[in-house]
Amino acid sequence: MTAIASGTAVAAAPWRLWREALRAALVLGAREVRTSLRTPAYLLPNMIVPIFFYFIMVGSLEQFAGDAGVDNWQAFQLPVAIVFAVQGGSAGLNMVADIESGYFYKLLLTPAHRMSILLGAMSADFVRIVVQATVVVLIAVATGLHFETGIAGAAALVLLSSLWGLAYSGLGFAVALKTGNSQATQSLWFMFMPFLFLTTLFAPREALSGWLSTAATFNPMTYLLAGLRALSMNGWDASDIGGALLAVAGVGVLSFTLALLALRGRLR
Amino acid sequence: MTIAEARPPAVEPDAPHEADEVHAIAARGLRMEFGGGIVAVDGIDVHVREGEIFGFLGPNGAGKTTTVRMLTTLLRPTAGSATVAGFDLYRQQLAIRRSIGVALQEAGLDALATGRELLKLQAQLFGIRGRDAARRAAELLELVGLVEAADRQIRTYSGGMKRRLDLASALVHEPRVLFLDEPTEGLDPASRQTVWQEITRLNDVLGVTVFLTTHYLEEADRLADRLAIIDRGRIVAEGTPHALKASIAGDVVTVAVARERLEEAQDLLCSLAGVREVRPDEAGLTMFVSDGPSVVANVIRVLDGAGVPVGAVAVAQPSLDEVFLRATGARLEGAAAEGTVTP
Repeated sequence: MTAIASGTAVAAAPWRLWREALRAALVLGAREVRTSLRTPAYLLPNMIVPIFFYFIMVGSLEQFAGDAGVDNWQAFQLPVAIVFAVQGGSAGLNMVADIESGYFYKLLLTPAHRMSILLGAMSADFVRIVVQATVVVLIAVATGLHFETGIAGAAALVLLSSLWGLAYSGLGFAVALKTGNSQATQSLWFMFMPFLFLTTLFAPREALSGWLSTAATFNPMTYLLAGLRALSMNGWDASDIGGALLAVAGVGVLSFTLALLALRGRLR
Repeated sequence: MTIAEARPPAVEPDAPHEADEVHAIAARGLRMEFGGGIVAVDGIDVHVREGEIFGFLGPNGAGKTTTVRMLTTLLRPTAGSATVAGFDLYRQQLAIRRSIGVALQEAGLDALATGRELLKLQAQLFGIRGRDAARRAAELLELVGLVEAADRQIRTYSGGMKRRLDLASALVHEPRVLFLDEPTEGLDPASRQTVWQEITRLNDVLGVTVFLTTHYLEEADRLADRLAIIDRGRIVAEGTPHALKASIAGDVVTVAVARERLEEAQDLLCSLAGVREVRPDEAGLTMFVSDGPSVVANVIRVLDGAGVPVGAVAVAQPSLDEVFLRATGARLEGAAAEGTVTP
């Protein structure tokens, strides 16, 4: 064993530190995936609710859709179900469990960069989101949905919606790190509801009027739904898809900044 | 935190702190003040020599855990300076984390992982790759006697098993300095013995420096080469257990007296020859005397003469509890005394 007196720090180039940080994030992400798989009670509702919502909306409001000028109601509703799937899970709950058990501090005591802990958790959440979005799309296709943009469009829809879910998950991690409280973290799901209803949930934007139209204009989810609907029912519309990507980027920058601030606060 | 701040730190200065090369831990004026003016640690000096087991003894809330959290880079001190394993606490945190192993008061474990998975992950986070990480996990499971439970989820482990696993996870990278915060808190006597043996073995065989916090007198007495007693954020005594006990020259006589006659009895006993100090506590009175056996007869005679009922009288060599009592006015494992009478 090296004597204390001769202790020296391991000198490493910045690129090597980055590589180690990414490797740690990967290892921690794999651990988060394993944790999620061992808690199916957490995963299953997130899977069932959007599928249930999709069939209820498609089955009960098809007549209304025709009156509102929507031809392909299934393709119109799929993005809503997808958004439920990618946002429904309460991101950050595993992190809260780690904080409560003290394991979070155990991780802080390793040489792994503190950002790796957040990145690992987020990457695992991204995997969960992608799987959930894919399952919803597959079920919709199996029950008769036709994608105007084909398989590539379906894949793009999964990717775009998953990026949105990842961007939104930053808020969950921010609340988890700030409060260390599972109830506060779970309550974020309820915050998501107004955003969903103050947008083009039931009807296209042209059919909205008054304050709802104004609210929808300022709601980033409106632009996300427009992009997703372009992929599911209209075709490769660069304007709508670009708008959705900007909405994802905007929410992502905001939520990741909040998550990083919360991480810094917890490390004080 | 900006992205720039969040990136991995630049290469850390690799020269150990010059002044503290002979110490595994050296802290000066270390202070931690929380919001609302709560001072948890009030400017303490700690020097732990390489290869020793250093005990940090004190009651709950004395500042032990806060000190550990500062020295292990989890908390940034409000003031003071420190080096750990030769590295500066403020400028070389990454190097410190590579050099230390830590088992916190609450065994922080991932309940849904198996013991093997947890140790392997810990090894990977310390840069041990692939099969080497798996091999290291297996070695540690063997070391702490958890081979049979290795592939069970940790939530099924007993408290003692969790403590041993936590200890193993602190050793995964062969640290030079080991911080153990209340390592046997809540354990049954058998598990406590196992952990004690393990700590002693790590120190004897591997030469690991151990910084151990505890509020168990027996634990400090048995394990620590040297110890510091902390109370209300300040170190009130420091030395080897033997030297600390020897500082109370003579014997300790404890006298069980009813609470309502305590003050009267204290006054009476203070005036006896050979009595240096009398302190009240929950059980009665503790007398610091030059020669216990010769004083006992007088104690009974004086109290009996004054009509003060005496429950029991015992003579003993001073323990760390008496050291603590003398330094702080309270017993470590009892209520605070309210007054001292010195003849």
